[in-house]
Amino acid sequence: MRASLKKALLSMASTALMLGAGVAEADTSDKKIALSNNYAGNSWRQSMLKSWDTVTKQAVADGIVAEATPFTTSENQVTEQAAQIQNLILQGYDAIVLNAASPDALNGAVKEACDAGIVVVSFDGIVTEPCAWRIAVDFAKMGEVQLDYLNEKMPQGGNLLEIRGLAGVFVDDEIHKGIEAGVKKYPQFKVVGSVHGDWTQTVAQKAVAGILPSLPEVAAVVTQGGDGYGAAQAFKAAGRPTPLIIMGNRQDELAWWKEQKDANGYETMSVSIAPGVATLAFWVAQQILDGKDVPKDMIVPFLRIDQGNLEENLANTESGSVANVEYALEDANKVIEAAR
Amino acid sequence: MRALAARIGNKPWLLSFAGALAVWLATILFTEGKGGGQIITAALAFSTFTVIVGIGQMFVITTGPGNVDLSIPSTIALAGGVAMKIMGGQDGLIWLGLLACIGAGLAVGTFNYILIRLLKIPPIIATLSSSLIVMSVAISYGRGLQIKPPPSFADFTTAQVAGVPMLSLCAILFAMIMAVILERTVYGRATLAIGQNMRAAHLAGVKVERTRCITYLMSAAFAGLCGALLAGFSGGNALNMGEEYLLATIAVVVIGGTSVAGGRANVPGIWGAALFLYLLVTMLNTYGASAGVRLVLTGLIIIAMITLAGGDKPSR
Repeated sequence: MRASLKKALLSMASTALMLGAGVAEADTSDKKIALSNNYAGNSWRQSMLKSWDTVTKQAVADGIVAEATPFTTSENQVTEQAAQIQNLILQGYDAIVLNAASPDALNGAVKEACDAGIVVVSFDGIVTEPCAWRIAVDFAKMGEVQLDYLNEKMPQGGNLLEIRGLAGVFVDDEIHKGIEAGVKKYPQFKVVGSVHGDWTQTVAQKAVAGILPSLPEVAAVVTQGGDGYGAAQAFKAAGRPTPLIIMGNRQDELAWWKEQKDANGYETMSVSIAPGVATLAFWVAQQILDGKDVPKDMIVPFLRIDQGNLEENLANTESGSVANVEYALEDANKVIEAAR
Repeated sequence: MRALAARIGNKPWLLSFAGALAVWLATILFTEGKGGGQIITAALAFSTFTVIVGIGQMFVITTGPGNVDLSIPSTIALAGGVAMKIMGGQDGLIWLGLLACIGAGLAVGTFNYILIRLLKIPPIIATLSSSLIVMSVAISYGRGLQIKPPPSFADFTTAQVAGVPMLSLCAILFAMIMAVILERTVYGRATLAIGQNMRAAHLAGVKVERTRCITYLMSAAFAGLCGALLAGFSGGNALNMGEEYLLATIAVVVIGGTSVAGGRANVPGIWGAALFLYLLVTMLNTYGASAGVRLVLTGLIIIAMITLAGGDKPSR
């Protein structure tokens, strides 16, 4: 009795909220959304799961959806995630928000989900199956903006050290292509060394320390995220002047940048994708369930930090974590509109 | 020539040092002598971590076929997190953090051994599955957040004496002690005996299970210590900082002249192999080899080294 009264009140309140916000009809209140996630073993993914938790718990409490449960596979394996998706189909979810272990190997399982009438929204690690929606990151652009910035900052050019990600992974190739295109556009820059840092601070530090002694003076370091602080450590250990190192939004990178900025006016920029992009995918899925016509391919906005908004972003980032933004319904609608 | 081959056959670990020297020479040939010293400093610094966990892995592998510790990466992640959290950036708590990281390692080692002994699970599967559990504990313990080491601890792990990292000096001393333990103590000889023939060792009065237990505990404890030192060295812990040490530990053990089949071990070879692997990647990076070429060459060179080092005949 009491429970049903509470429920009724809640749904009334949420309806009022919805009407007040001027959003769609909110007939997704009985819908169940699942997050299928392939990996949890780094700070970015941990922030992602935390953002998902914060935003979806609120959405469930507000009665916007009935359920939004995250599921993470333990081994980052395609077979494991395919089995997980099949389980989610059997459990009767209405939508699956997917960060996929592979762009094509999960297509079979995704197709099964679509055939069962389930909405599949992939983000970050997207899938190529045409029936799914994609919120993709323009990784090549992420490489190119680094050179745009460098061209502005040091028009005279100079030697670059490139820290790449994990060899053989799509993301690494794409960012690298963007950097290559940027170097072509601004021929005053020359890549004098390239190492693989696997997006891991310790690995990047190790690889940079190894190649540094053989390099001429380095004016700037172009990166892929998760490797900037390791590079800074390696330059320091080698006793070389610190070049301009492009950062990747990790808190330790931002804190180091702030320290340098206060000490000697050090200038750089930082760019990456906010882990909260999972919540953007959540709202997109909710909108599709709500009957909105959403284009299949959308682009994730970058989270870029510059000299001016460094302090603000640093203050908002938990120590040891990644700079983050949690997206709201309006943000999702903006992204949907931009894709039209 | 044959005499040379015989000598290398007797001391397979010489080969890993020779290999390290060769790739170093090839690197400075390319840079025309520039940065040779700095490359050695970096190689010593980064090899230190591989050596610490590699020696633990060596003892495990020496206890015979099928024995391997696959939980090392997760243990590094967990212990690094535990150490940084307990130190909490305060110099006064460094000792407690170091004790805690070794304690975390011992806990993982005990768990591994329980799975192997009481539940009779093969070590490969036991340590692999425990690594999943340990990683989950590490994730929920630290929630993926990076914690900075106390300043004195960071200084200690990155300090150098005339271009030689302090930590490397400690690790050389550590390797010497472990070599003495392997060659001169009852425990060390028992490990070798078990690796040659477990049943024969048992009949000869070797306490087989006690030796295996100590071995798994030791490997995990070293991984724990390595986690704390690595977190200090690189400015904070991270969940994925142990990942590269899964294959690296097995590779340095094998390249260093320890038999994969067990029963024959070599401590100095671990140092040679760790330096060799680091310098090999540095050389290929310096030559500007693409990732594909680098991986293929690394694989081929490792196969060649193992074929050369493993060329000796069984002693029986």
